[in-house]
Amino acid sequence: MSSTRLEAFLARLYVESDARANFKANPRAEAKKAGLSDEQCTALENFDWIGLEMAARSFAQKRQLKRRPSWFAAFLLRLSRLRFPRFL
Amino acid sequence: MNNLTDRVGLGWRPDLAAGILEHLDGIDLLEVIADDFFSAPSRQIRALKTLAAQIPVVLHGVSLGLASASLVVTKRLDQMARLMAEVRPEFWSEHLAFVRAGGIEIGHLAAPPRCSATVDAAAANLHRAQAAVGAKPLVENIATLIDPPASTLSESDWIAGILSSSNCGLLLDLHNVLANGLNHGYDPCEFVRQIPPERIAAIHIAGGKFIPAPDGRQRLLDDHLHDVPDPVFDLLEETAARASGPLTVILERDGDYPSMDSLLAEIAQARRALATGRERRMQPVEVVA
Repeated sequence: MSSTRLEAFLARLYVESDARANFKANPRAEAKKAGLSDEQCTALENFDWIGLEMAARSFAQKRQLKRRPSWFAAFLLRLSRLRFPRFL
Repeated sequence: MNNLTDRVGLGWRPDLAAGILEHLDGIDLLEVIADDFFSAPSRQIRALKTLAAQIPVVLHGVSLGLASASLVVTKRLDQMARLMAEVRPEFWSEHLAFVRAGGIEIGHLAAPPRCSATVDAAAANLHRAQAAVGAKPLVENIATLIDPPASTLSESDWIAGILSSSNCGLLLDLHNVLANGLNHGYDPCEFVRQIPPERIAAIHIAGGKFIPAPDGRQRLLDDHLHDVPDPVFDLLEETAARASGPLTVILERDGDYPSMDSLLAEIAQARRALATGRERRMQPVEVVA
């Protein structure tokens, strides 16, 4: 089903700056190259370009944050070693 | 008078843990991010179970990608199933989003094209999730800075279609409604009115900030780093006036933490908004002859 291709195409746009630049330069050709249907190619010509740049930046920041260690997990590990009357 | 047992709780975060444990009597329940425990050692699972023995806990997934056109990954569903069996939360929830496609991890929740194909795909994934986990999740609307391309349905119609196809309840994130409404040009209050009220089971409230857009305008970013703005409490009141079942409200805060008193004040404000909405619901509707 071409919906999976469309999602894969969008995921690449959200993550790869080169893919965004190529798409912005020639939307229909890039969408065609990705194997999208004529209907999808047409839909992608009316793209929310501003939203794309803002979303891509936001996704990049989220990926950056996820590379940090999980303080949440570390905290619960410490908590599980503690003993105080109400909680354990 | 509010005859429905609405509850207001808080998202469990390590930086808030001490304050939460100190004020359990003012918090009705906690929402725990499930994914943080998918690969956790048994010691951490035991700690979570101990927490769940103190206060009602619900689990919230962030990476299943249930609204993807692709099948949700079985391994992730199995992890959720194992955690559910261990913790026995009141319910679990996930987002109507895709988070990976074509071998690429986006890193966060992305809005799929809103069309009949993704309604069907989400319903199929939700069916698989229920079969694997043993319980249907509540599904949550997401915030998106980009208007999802190739969409043929409005957001409210798309969500209503998924709720109907999957027979799932809705976790309605009101700051996401506010952000999408402001960013993409629709009335957030009207959006709430378009959602089937009998499906609304839980609510997220949070804050965000306006960020500059390349065209010189601004868009509202749902960052969970700021206080809940008044329009979200207004939407909460509106939702309480419409929802037919009891509501579970969760305050989400992911950083730049204020004092615990400040968070408890937001919880109190949420309780007031719920009460006001419920009072409106009890009032008879005037019929004009």
